[in-house]
Amino acid sequence: MSPARYEDWKLLDLEPGADLAEINTALRLRRALYQSGSLATYNLLDDDERRAMLERIDEAYRRVTGHEPPPSSSQPRGEPAAAPPVEEPSGPAPDPRTEPGALLAFHRRCRGLSIGQLSAETKIRVALLQQLESENTDELPEAVFVRGHVLTYARALGMDNPNEIAALYLAKVKLD
Amino acid sequence: MIIEADVHAPPGPRIWAIGGGKGGVGKSVVTANLAVAVARTGERVAVVDADLGGANLHTMVGVPSPKLNLADFISRRVATLAEIMTPTPVENLWLISGAKALLETANPNFGQKGKMLRHIAMLDVDHVFLDLGAGTAFNVLDFFLVARKGILVVVPEATSVENAYFFIKAAYFRKLKQAQPRAQVKAAVDAVMNSRARERVRTPRDLMAQVMTVDADAGAALMEEASTFSPSIIVNRVERAEQARLGNEMGSACRDYFGIRLQCLGSFPADNLVRRSIDERRPAVDLFPQSSFAAAVRTTAAAFVRAPSEATG
Repeated sequence: MSPARYEDWKLLDLEPGADLAEINTALRLRRALYQSGSLATYNLLDDDERRAMLERIDEAYRRVTGHEPPPSSSQPRGEPAAAPPVEEPSGPAPDPRTEPGALLAFHRRCRGLSIGQLSAETKIRVALLQQLESENTDELPEAVFVRGHVLTYARALGMDNPNEIAALYLAKVKLD
Repeated sequence: MIIEADVHAPPGPRIWAIGGGKGGVGKSVVTANLAVAVARTGERVAVVDADLGGANLHTMVGVPSPKLNLADFISRRVATLAEIMTPTPVENLWLISGAKALLETANPNFGQKGKMLRHIAMLDVDHVFLDLGAGTAFNVLDFFLVARKGILVVVPEATSVENAYFFIKAAYFRKLKQAQPRAQVKAAVDAVMNSRARERVRTPRDLMAQVMTVDADAGAALMEEASTFSPSIIVNRVERAEQARLGNEMGSACRDYFGIRLQCLGSFPADNLVRRSIDERRPAVDLFPQSSFAAAVRTTAAAFVRAPSEATG
């Protein structure tokens, strides 16, 4: 097995050194993007190019993790993806200043992830994820840990501003 | 969200050009509401109806019949663009109308276009929003390319996505065509495009690769040029949660496939209140400030306000 190259990380939309949870999330998102039912790549690639791209993504995964990618959960070609098991949020995203926990939950639901699934990806236990989302200050750990958890959470969801979210979260909950 | 800086930002107003390969995606609604939202922050905004053939922006910003329009400027009935800036009912917002200009100016010539762009850059405002027409005519592409940011409006429909990619490709090739000052680069591009290698050029990335094989220096110059092309998109009429991801997904696909950076500046929800605001001829951000659409517009508008007025370095 040849070692991972910078291009492999880029192909997975990751910075080198991302952890396994991030790599698995990236694999899922990248596969979804290049499936034949994907709106974002509609008519951009022909079937051969799609297959080639999916193979490159799996190959990059092999090099960065050193093991086989999990089987693709994709639907048969041309079929729409199954409905996510999680209720999709309605309405606008909550304000990160006043409801950072609700914003995290909103983005989680946007990605169709249950708390349990997110826990599996982030290795943060379910109870703590729930406390983060509900901004339960009595149960949350010290600020430095909360910051780390919020960063992990936001990164696992592919949010584009994890640092900003973490800062707003800490500003809101004002942990000692 | 931070709008990525553009190294070529000139002094003067920040110019945001809003286009869309396809008609009916809500370009004018998006433009009008963004312009109003930015004006409401206290910054001075001019919104230009550059849809030189189907102008209707004036209705959406509450100026039913502007007295002067772009035709008066292009035909030199007025000397400066500033003279046709019409105040709107919104404080800090002016309109430069394209209404009724279609017959005379739907296809302004090169000199007229250049003059218009120079005058836009001299307007005494903080932001200029250009509402471009649909399609990929050279005029649309040129206004798109001259802006601080060229912004495409797409809706989560296959035809709109397809049109957006077509537009991005057309704008990119147009940019390369304009920016071949060096005969060497032009010769290398021509060598590729006039040879059988042309069949292999489907994307900007392909062109770069082919030019590289012909002339490495020219290839490097092209790559340099490519790095300054960073269009952005706004996804409009988002109905389902997974559609909110479309903008970022298109960004990934663009990077992988075209080698072009495409930043998503926002996803605006489908909202029945928007339709009602159009019927009432007022921008939704003013008429229904609590709507989910207005909230999303304000978030994107805040990013425009934060964008530095002049690039540094």
